[in-house]
Order: sequence, then structure tokens, then C-alpha cells
Amino acid sequence: MEFHLSRIDLMTVGSTSLKSMKVLPNPPGKKIAQRIALGDHNGVLTCFQMKRSDTVVDFKTLPGPRIERLELGGAIGSLQEKIFISSGSEVRGFTKRGKQFLMFETNLSDTIKSMFISGPNLHITGQYIYNMYHNCQDTHFYLSCDKINDMIGIPGSGKEIFPVLGCQDRVLRVLSGSELLYEAEVPGAPETLALFDVMSGFGHNNLIYGTKDGIIGLCTVNKDNPCHRWEIANSNNLGGITAIETYDVNNDGVSELIIARDDGTVEVYSITEGQPKLITSKNVSESITSVGAGLITSPTHPDVVVATYPGHVISLTSEVKSHVAQNVISPSARSKLDDLKKDIEELKRQVLAEREKYQKSAGSDSAISAVVKFHVNDKFTLNPVDANYLLSIEIQMPIENVLLQCDVPIDLLDVERNSAVVSHSACDPEDKNYLLATYRCQANTTRLDVKVRSIEGQYGTLQVYITPRIQPKTCQLRQYQIKPLSLHRRTHIIDGERPMNALKLSGSFSLGEVHSWIGYCIPEVPDKCPSGETITMFFQSTFLDTQLECNYRQGSVEFKSDNISTISILKDVITKLATQKKIALNITYELCEDSIPHSLRLIHPKLDEQLLLAKKVQLIDALKELSMHEPNLDFLSPEYKDIIQNAEKLQAAFKLQPCHLERLYGMITDLYIDKFKFKGLNVKSKVPMLLEVLDNYELETLIDFFEISAV
Amino acid sequence: MLAPLFTLKLKQKILPRRVTIGKFDGVNPNLACATAAGKVFIHNPFSGSQMSQSATSMSRLVTSEDLVPDLYYLNIGQQISAMGAGCLGADTKDVLFVGSQTHFLAYDVHNNSDLFYRECPDGVNTIAHGYIADCNVPLVFAGGNCSISGFAEDGEDKFWTVTGDNVCSLALLDYNQDNVNELVVGSEDYEIRVFHSDEMIAEITETESVTCLAAMNGSKFGYALANGTVGVYDRNNRFWRIKSKNQAVSIFSYDLNGDGVDELITGWSSGKLDARSSHNGEVVFKDNFASAVAGIVEGDYRRDGTKQLITCSVDGEVRGYSPANKDTSHNLMDNDQEQDLIRELSQRKNNLLLELKNYSENTKAGKEVGGLKLSATTDVDGQHMGIIPANTQLQTSLQVTTETESMPSHVQLLINTTNSTVIKAVMIFAEGIFNGESHVVHPPTNGITSALSVPIFPPKDVPIDLHVKTFVGHKNSSQYHVFELSRQLPRFTLYVQAPPNTQQPRSFVSFPVNERINRVVMWINQNFLLDEEVCAIAADTELDLRLMALRTGCPIFLHMVPGTITIHCEDIDLVGDIVQALAASLNIENMSSTANFPEFIEKLKEVLVKVDEFHNVRQKLTAEMADHSNLIRSLVVRAEDARLMNDMNSMKQSYLKLYDLNRDLVNGYNIRCNNHSELLACLKIVNQGIQKAGRLRVGRPKTQVVTACRNAIKQGDVEKLFKIIECGGA
Repeated sequence: MEFHLSRIDLMTVGSTSLKSMKVLPNPPGKKIAQRIALGDHNGVLTCFQMKRSDTVVDFKTLPGPRIERLELGGAIGSLQEKIFISSGSEVRGFTKRGKQFLMFETNLSDTIKSMFISGPNLHITGQYIYNMYHNCQDTHFYLSCDKINDMIGIPGSGKEIFPVLGCQDRVLRVLSGSELLYEAEVPGAPETLALFDVMSGFGHNNLIYGTKDGIIGLCTVNKDNPCHRWEIANSNNLGGITAIETYDVNNDGVSELIIARDDGTVEVYSITEGQPKLITSKNVSESITSVGAGLITSPTHPDVVVATYPGHVISLTSEVKSHVAQNVISPSARSKLDDLKKDIEELKRQVLAEREKYQKSAGSDSAISAVVKFHVNDKFTLNPVDANYLLSIEIQMPIENVLLQCDVPIDLLDVERNSAVVSHSACDPEDKNYLLATYRCQANTTRLDVKVRSIEGQYGTLQVYITPRIQPKTCQLRQYQIKPLSLHRRTHIIDGERPMNALKLSGSFSLGEVHSWIGYCIPEVPDKCPSGETITMFFQSTFLDTQLECNYRQGSVEFKSDNISTISILKDVITKLATQKKIALNITYELCEDSIPHSLRLIHPKLDEQLLLAKKVQLIDALKELSMHEPNLDFLSPEYKDIIQNAEKLQAAFKLQPCHLERLYGMITDLYIDKFKFKGLNVKSKVPMLLEVLDNYELETLIDFFEISAV
Repeated sequence: MLAPLFTLKLKQKILPRRVTIGKFDGVNPNLACATAAGKVFIHNPFSGSQMSQSATSMSRLVTSEDLVPDLYYLNIGQQISAMGAGCLGADTKDVLFVGSQTHFLAYDVHNNSDLFYRECPDGVNTIAHGYIADCNVPLVFAGGNCSISGFAEDGEDKFWTVTGDNVCSLALLDYNQDNVNELVVGSEDYEIRVFHSDEMIAEITETESVTCLAAMNGSKFGYALANGTVGVYDRNNRFWRIKSKNQAVSIFSYDLNGDGVDELITGWSSGKLDARSSHNGEVVFKDNFASAVAGIVEGDYRRDGTKQLITCSVDGEVRGYSPANKDTSHNLMDNDQEQDLIRELSQRKNNLLLELKNYSENTKAGKEVGGLKLSATTDVDGQHMGIIPANTQLQTSLQVTTETESMPSHVQLLINTTNSTVIKAVMIFAEGIFNGESHVVHPPTNGITSALSVPIFPPKDVPIDLHVKTFVGHKNSSQYHVFELSRQLPRFTLYVQAPPNTQQPRSFVSFPVNERINRVVMWINQNFLLDEEVCAIAADTELDLRLMALRTGCPIFLHMVPGTITIHCEDIDLVGDIVQALAASLNIENMSSTANFPEFIEKLKEVLVKVDEFHNVRQKLTAEMADHSNLIRSLVVRAEDARLMNDMNSMKQSYLKLYDLNRDLVNGYNIRCNNHSELLACLKIVNQGIQKAGRLRVGRPKTQVVTACRNAIKQGDVEKLFKIIECGGA
């Protein structure tokens, strides 16, 4: 069935947080326009509905502390239409008429990050803490070992509710009361969780998770074990998942799955059978914070409603509006436009007056110039597929330009969806500048994505200055750490069979100190030191698939990795850190000779593939020319025929991985240098020979080269 | 939504910017595109007219029904660098023009014969076709290295002129609305020059190589630059421009929305196609191809009496669009205008609200710290919010710095704040002087102070607007105030007063000027960045200015007595620049001069000798090649004979000889290539020399010099050439 979504802007509020908008449900059987409730960073809770394409505000609270979450609740069995908002450590409840009936100060010391309400029970989480209140009485408590991104309650078989914590270390933690039932590993850090209460043949206790790197999965949560049903990979490299909803948007009697992403994409999937199928998608070009669905602008055609980070509430209606086809502006819109124009005129006048006042103050010696710090919605995440970092920056107003500065060598890669003009400036490493680049944004851009390629071992800070297009002009500085082992990410299972090199450090350091060192070196280490005497963590290189195991306790730490370069980087960095703190370290290492051929064999398939690809791509043009001359290509070898047939695919794959080969060569060179560094030999002079071997690459000769040149 | 009228997949690679369309049989339009391996293919979907009937083994035209129907190939045998089509004579048939780095071919596709095939030593970078002033037949123009030729039907070059650098783009349009076309030329030295006949009537400086030009309604024309800029000029007024991170491959003028005014259609290297209003650059339509756009043309490809917009991608995809009819003309894109308008207005409203909030928060913060001393506030809150005293100001100054060991000569932009606030970083946006569009200075953390200097190296003498954005705050703030200011760099920046004992250069140019000396003095003070103001000596009767060019180290002596200016300098380029800039500022329309540049003449002489040598070598090599190919033919026959006779020994010998011969041929080819590129470089120097001689004059005398020089070179009269350079062409 043909199904399209067209955009209607409903209203604008202040910037919004994740899960801060809900569509109030209709009583069963009724089909009337539904209300939308949302809370913004100005602390205003707004509840409104649409009446004949006019926005009618039911109520609006006064500005206050910023609202982080908004959930719906109500007595069990009744309509869930009571509105709960959280700001700071406080939860407030409102009826749909706007009457405040609850004001509850929780005993949480930090800000409430997520909230779930079931009847008289209020579940909340802070950064690491889960708390449950029964009728505002503190009942259950759990301390998670990594940051909690989201939490939701899954109804069990009876009345009981299993809270599920989506944690940063890529684990779903299922609780019962204050106890951890079990952990379930998911393919990415879960950003948002949603109940999946659709007749699907999987039962009722299902949960959908969306990860920061854009993967969606369905998981059945039982009392004793999880069961993964399906997973949608992020093959098109879209943004991270920020909100999930299920609703029958195309009126076919079956619910669809609605996914919203931080790059502004909204996707609708049909979930009638097995693996979900994409029906339609739409981009609103601002990162989405919440998604809902219901009858909003029309009593017959359901809408998908999204709230965006800059505070726009947008309806994506399935109805085809007649005026679009005729291309005339409807009278109601006309009056809306006139109102807007009037407002703008009035505001312009005020702004002019204020601007003058501000400029006058420049003459006074005692006056100051202070501009409010604007909020930046940013993300700096490692994409495990291509081992590059994605830096996304979004602000509430249009961006004028962004300056990137880095004190270590990194590469910036082009992101297709950017329209900003990039310009690299000459830089002098003596001023600690390895990168100076400006991105000049086109008008009305509120979002910028930049891909960053880092090199392991080269660590430093990426500094970003963001200048919005608004008077008085200011810019904000954001800093992002590029860690020594920047391409590693946390994992929970490793292969114990591999030949491992080990590095042992001991000295008089505390557990907290060694934890902070590890956090300095490797990404995805929780800020807080996990409890326990001995801590074990596993990591995996997203580029080479080599692994790293860290075991540490007070006074000693042991690293094990099959990649000798990883060990070498850790040794260098940690010794440096310890020297800074004036802690004497006792260093021992065990090198495993087998690990070198093993690492090379791990690289081999990647290198081989890249070399073959490069060779094939080189041939494409020549073969195409040949095919122009010759009407019949039967005489070509099957290999060449294959190249001609798949020319486009090959070229696309080649384009996708720029400099991949150089990166692999760099890794092999590092491996070579590091191997001999541990033996106390400097082999930098032999690197040209190594590159020669690589030019005529064969796995065995390379392994031999590593062996022979030991002498 | 405007959907393509037709889509064709030709499955042929199309070289970018080498797409044209013509009615080669006089009736049906055919696409002609350059493809790999030095071939041109012609797409003729109108199978009724058979153009291949006359194809014989000797002709260029080859049909290939097996691959894609309706495609015919022309073997050019050289790398094709430009394509065009148009009608040259009384015949209504269009002629196909193909340019390569050495030749220009006008080809009659219908009769399958060459109309003319000419050597073009300057190469052909771009082709345009049409009428110009003072010539009653249509000409085809070929823009090459620093020169433009206009050929008539018989292959004779009725038009010839030079420009400052390699020509990248040509367009014919009525620039001054006098009902005759002017020739608009875009070149690699960032200039757009307008020629009325062979007289240059206007010059516009852009910021990058001008890669495309497109004539639009009236005196409007579109242009595209190598850095991704696209825009529209009406005469020398720029209506708008936009810059993209992609490159514009092809631009075209076409009325897509049916409102009677042409839009600028741009095909991008990313595969995007967009149509922008010629008036304000607003996008009225866009589409996407899977690969880069190769070319845009218009023609009646459906034979329905209207002209469609036809766009080709490098992968051989062809899409045709026809103009929208009246009902949909306002909305070619699939969007809801009403919603767009509301969105835009609410965004504006929001921005105003945010600005208001900024001011109110500022006042609030001001009240909070009201009683406290400022030094205290900077410590407490300043770190965070970046509070600075409201009277903070930025002072800037420009300074010329002479060469030191570590740094070549440059202009220094000094920026400092008026109090204890520090400068975290400086971004300068300016066009044409940096690698990209911006230059950033970001001092290391321990080097942040309240003053900062930015070295600027202007690569040539043009006035430049610097847009400086300075981040001002405190050492560890996370928020900075952005001070924006613009400074103009005068045209001649890297010049200082010459040391007193400097010798007067031998070369000079002198020309009459009927202006008061004070005006020239004023011009010098405005256009040079000198430490001291220049003033005339002896009460407005004489001016003596002695300068040193820091970029080249050449001294320049400018001497003026009432009525005459004499400039002594060895650098003819620089003298030309000064003459042109001065003439433009004094509104001199025509001016001849006497010039004496012995060094320049000497060099030119050497180059001309070299050109002759290269020509000779080339002829010799060509003859050798012909010899070799004859030998090859006989060897192949002999070898084949031997094979048939089963005489394996002599066959082997023949093939061995053949192998040697082949190697010789390859070597010969390499020599030819080198020879050719050196020849090209020399010819460029000659053309530029003519241009330089022209630039010592203004208006009519300038054109005369160029034409006279050209004739002298044609006749091989070197002495005459030098005479013309010295005394002008009249």
C-alpha cells in the first residue's frame, strides 16, 4: 500500500530532552483528536491539541527547572492519562486539565535520568542508581556498574514488573525488586527502550531497544533468561536511535513500529511477520528526542508526532492534504502566517531597542558583557563498522561556523549529508596544532556531522568552537578526548585460545588510580570505579578485531592482548601517567612469539580484500574501454567478466573506505616497530624494507620478514 | 513534483563537460558525448534517418548495433578536451566540433566527412559557437592556453586574441545590450573578461578558476568556479552566489518553471542537479543522479516542438525534463509551501526570541555583579560564562614585514584587546589568498595573550576583503565572545620604500596622463600599504616614488611630471598591473605608451627560437613515425607469409624486428609527448608575452598591440614584433 508522511509543524517550545513528549490516549472506542503533552528545558509543561489546524493550548505551566522526562500514568486498569514530569530530583504529577496533584522530592542526589510509572509505583534512575517508590515510599534500590541510559518496566506474568536498565556497557540489566536477575548483552549501547505490546507471536513481555549506533532489536524478557528475536542493523549508516513507538499509523489494523533517530530520520516498519520491513521514512533534519502517534490533525488519519531537540513539535501525517496538490495557502494558514509576521515585527522592534542598549553599555567602564551559555547536544562516538569516530553537534539556533582544532594528527572525512563548506588551514605542529579546519554552515543548519579518523597511540584533545548565527556573537568550546587506544570498545566475551602478550605493572597505587589510568587509555570505561577487589574488563579493537583483557586491583594491574602494539601503547602511556604522579612502577612483560603471526593472520583477510579491491578497481576503466571496442566479451576470463559486471559495487566499496590500505599498512608498521621495541631494538631504519615487502604482499613472506629481521 | 520526461541509460562513460547536442542531419537533434579511448558517441534515437548509410571503412563513423542501439561512434584517436556543435554556413545542418590538446576538428556527421581539421597548438579547452560583432558569419570559438581563436566555415581563424591565462570557459551574450554578442571568457587567473569583437570592455575578478559560463536572459550570465561557487552576474553586478562543498560540472540557462525567466541549472560533481532562480538564487527544483553530472544541454528530443532540458551523468544516464505548465509552475519540488513558510517564519521568530533572551540575561548578570569589582567577577563567573567588560574593544593594524630567515615577506595583521581579556583564536575568511576559504590562528595554551599577529601572504596584487572573527575571553573560559570585523587589504601590499642607493632599472614604460599629480598621489596612498604617506615634490609639479617589490625584490621607480608618467621596473607583469589599475582609477579609456623592456624582449626571443626548434623536431618525429608504420606493415605481412610457408625461423626474426620497432615507436611517442608539452609551455609564454605587452596600454591601443603582435608572429617577423611591443600597434 502506498503510504507517505507529510510534515506539518505544530508548535515550537524550548529545547527538549529524550522522552519528554507523550500523546495522551483516547478512551477505548473513542476517536477524537488527542492531546499532546511535552516538557522543555525552560521547565514549561505544555499540553495542547489541534482543532481544525489551529493549535489550542490546554494549559501551560510557568517556567522552572528544566524538565528531563515526561511519562504517563494512572491507576492500574484505568486510562493512563496522568502526566508525570521530572526535573532535577523532583517528580511532579499533573492531571490532563493541568492541575498539579503530586510534588515529590526523591532522595536521589543527582538528576533523574529516566522514569517509569505503574499504578502507585514510581521507578526512577539516576546516573548509576535505580530506585523504586511505592506510594512515595522508598522500596527498592540497585546500583549499576555503568551508566544507565534508559529504564523501562516489563510486565511479568502476574502483577509484578521487571525493571530493565539499559546500560552504557552494552548490557540490559533485568531486575526484580532490588536484585539483579540477569544481564543480557546487546550489540550497542542502548539509548532508548520501549515496550513492545503487539500481538507478535512472541508473547507480551517484549522489549525493543535502540542503540546509540543505530541498531534496533527485539528481546523477550522472561524471569530467567532473555531471548533475542530480531535485530535491524544500521546498514545505511543513519543516526543513533532516540525514540521508539508502536502504533497503527496506516489504519490496517496492525501496529507498525516507528523509529526516530538523532539525524532526524523517522522510519516506519511493518512488523506483521518475522523480520520488520521498512514501509516509509522521512527526515525532519533535526535530531528527534521523542516520538508519539495518535489522531492529532485529523480524526481519521493517524499522525506520527515528533519533538526535536531545538524544540519543534512536528506532525507527520498520513493524510494527503488537498491544498498541497492545488498549491494554495489555506485561509487558516494565512491568518497563522499573518500572526507570525506581526509577532516578528514586534520582536524586531524590541530586539533593536535592546541591541542599542547593549551597544551603549560598551561605553561604560563598569558594565559587563555576559551571554548565556547555549546548550549543545553533541555526540562523539566510535562507529564499529568502519572504525571512525562520528562527531555530531546540534544547537537550538542556526550554526554559523564551527572551528575544529586538534593537537594530534587526525583526519576529517566528508559526511554526505553535510552541506557545510570545509576549509583546512595550514597549521604548525610547534603550536600544538595538527588540525585546524573551519566548517562554514549554510543558512538554517542546526546540525553538523563530522567523521574523524584517529590513529591508536596518538592521543590528545579535539577542540571544537561552535559559533551560532545569533547576536551578540559568542562561541562555545567543546572538548573531546582522543584516547590512546581510541579504536577499542568494550566487549563481554573474549576468545581465550589466542596467543596473548602480557604486561604486568605493580607499585603503590590505589584501585581508583589504576582505574582512572585505564579510563584515560581506553574508551567506554565507566567514570566510577566498579565495586569489588579485583576488576576484569574486556575490550576489542574495532579495526583489527584484536582483544585486550585488563585485570586490576590495588597495587597491581595486568593487561593481556594478542596485539603487541596495544601492549606497547599501554606501557608507554601508563608509565607516563605514573611518573606524573610520582609513583614508581615495577614493569614486567611476557611476550608471546606466536602472537605476531597470529596478528598478521588477523590482518591478512582485510589486507587481502583491500589489495584485491584496489587491483580490481584499477582494472575497471581499462576493461570498460575494452568492452566498448568488442561487441562480444566471451573471450574474457570469468574474473574479468565479474569485474565488469560488479564495477559499480566495487567502486562504491572502494569509495566507502578511503585510505583503508594506508591504515592497515600503518598498523603493520607499528606492529613491526613495537615487536622489536620490547626487545630493545630500534628498527625504524628497516621500515622501508617492510613497505617493500608489503608492496608485493604475501602473508608468508611477511611473517618471515618479521621473523628473520630479528637478527 | 516535476518528474523527468524520459530517462535513457546509454551505458557509456561520458567525460564531464564534453556533452553537446546538434541537428546533424538538419532536422533531428542528436546527443554527442566524448567517451573513453578518444571516441565520441552520437546518440540518434530517430531511426528513420539513417546517417550510417554512408559509413565506409575509411570514415570515422562506426556503428555498433550490438551494444546499445542508436549509438554511433566517431574515432578521434586523441584525448578529447572539448565538444561543441553548431551551424557554420548557409547549410541548416549542424556541425560537430571536437577539440583535443593539439587539434580542432569540425565534422559533418551527416555526410561523414571533415569540414576542416586544424592544428591548434594552444590546445582547445572549451568551445563556443555563435555570432559576434564585426563578423557576419557564425564562428566557432576555441579557448586554449591563453588564446582564443574563432574559426569560420573554411577553417580560417577570423578572430584571435589573447588572455592572461588558460581559458576554461566561454560564452556568447549581449553584455552591453547593443544587439551584438560579446564574448565572455573565464580563465585560470580568476578573471572573467568581456570582449566586444577583439576589444576587452570589462574585466571581473573572481576568487578561483572560472570553470563554466552560461549566457542567460539579457545581459545576465551564470558562472561557476573551481571551488564550488555558482552565481549569476548582470553585467558586472553580481546578483547572488552560493558556495557548495561539491563542484559545479556544468551550468545551463533554462526556464524550467515556465515563468518566462530562465533559471540557472547546475549539475554538480555529487550527482545533484538543481535549478535556481536567476534573480536570487533560490532553489526551485532539484534532482539527484547516481553519479556526477557530465553535461546539460537543451533540445527537442521528443520531436514535440518544445525544447527539453537534457542532463547526462558520467555513467551515461540521460534524463530529459520539460518546463512545468502554469498550474504547477510555483511548486516543482514535492513540498508543502505553506508549511515551509510557517517553518521559516517560526524559525525567525525563535531566533529573535533567543536574541532577546541573551540581552535580558546580560542585564541580569550585570545586576548580579553590579556591586562587585570586575576583577572579582572574572575569577568567579567569568571562567564559565566568559564575562568580559562591556568596553572591551579590538584594535587591528596592518604592517608590511620584510623577509627574514624563517619567513618570507608578508603583511602582518596585528590584533589586540584593550584590556586583560585574551584572544583564544582568530579565524579569517577571505577569498583567493588562502588554501581554502579561511585561515585560522590558534596559539598553544601557554601562548595565549591579549595580542596576536597573523601573517598574510597575498599571492598576487588584488584588493582583498578580510573578514576577521576573533574569539575573546579568558584563558580557561569555555565560552568566548566573537568580535567580527572586516579589513580591506589594498591592491599593492607587499611594497616598501626602496633603500636610498637603489639603481634605477633599465626597463621602463612611459605614457601621457592629463591629470593633476595630486590625484595620482591619492591613488598611490589608497592602493599601497606604505609606512609614510607619499606626497608630490615641488608643489604639485613632480612626483618621484621609489619602491621595492618584496615578493620579487624588483625596484620600481614611478616618476611623474605634469602630462607624463614613467615607470621604471624590470617586471613587466607588475608594470602592467600598475598601468591597468591606475588607468581604471583615473577613468582613462584609451591610452598608448612607449615601452622598453630589453630583458623581457631577450627572453621572448629565446622562447621564439625554441618554438622553432620544437616545431622542427616535431616534423622530424612525425616523418620517422610514418616510416616506422610502413615498416611495421611490411614486417607483419612478411611474418604472416613466413608462417603460412611454415618458415618458423624467419617468422621469428620478423616478429623480433617488429618487437624492436614497436619499442622504438613507443620511445618516439614519449619524445613527441615531451616535445609537445614543452612546445605548449613555450607557446603559452609567447601568448602571455603578447598579453603583457597589451597590458601596458589601455582600450583601443591595447587591442591594436595584440592584433599586430599576432600578425607579426604569423608572418614570423620577430623584429616587427619587438617594434610593436615597444611603440604600440598603430
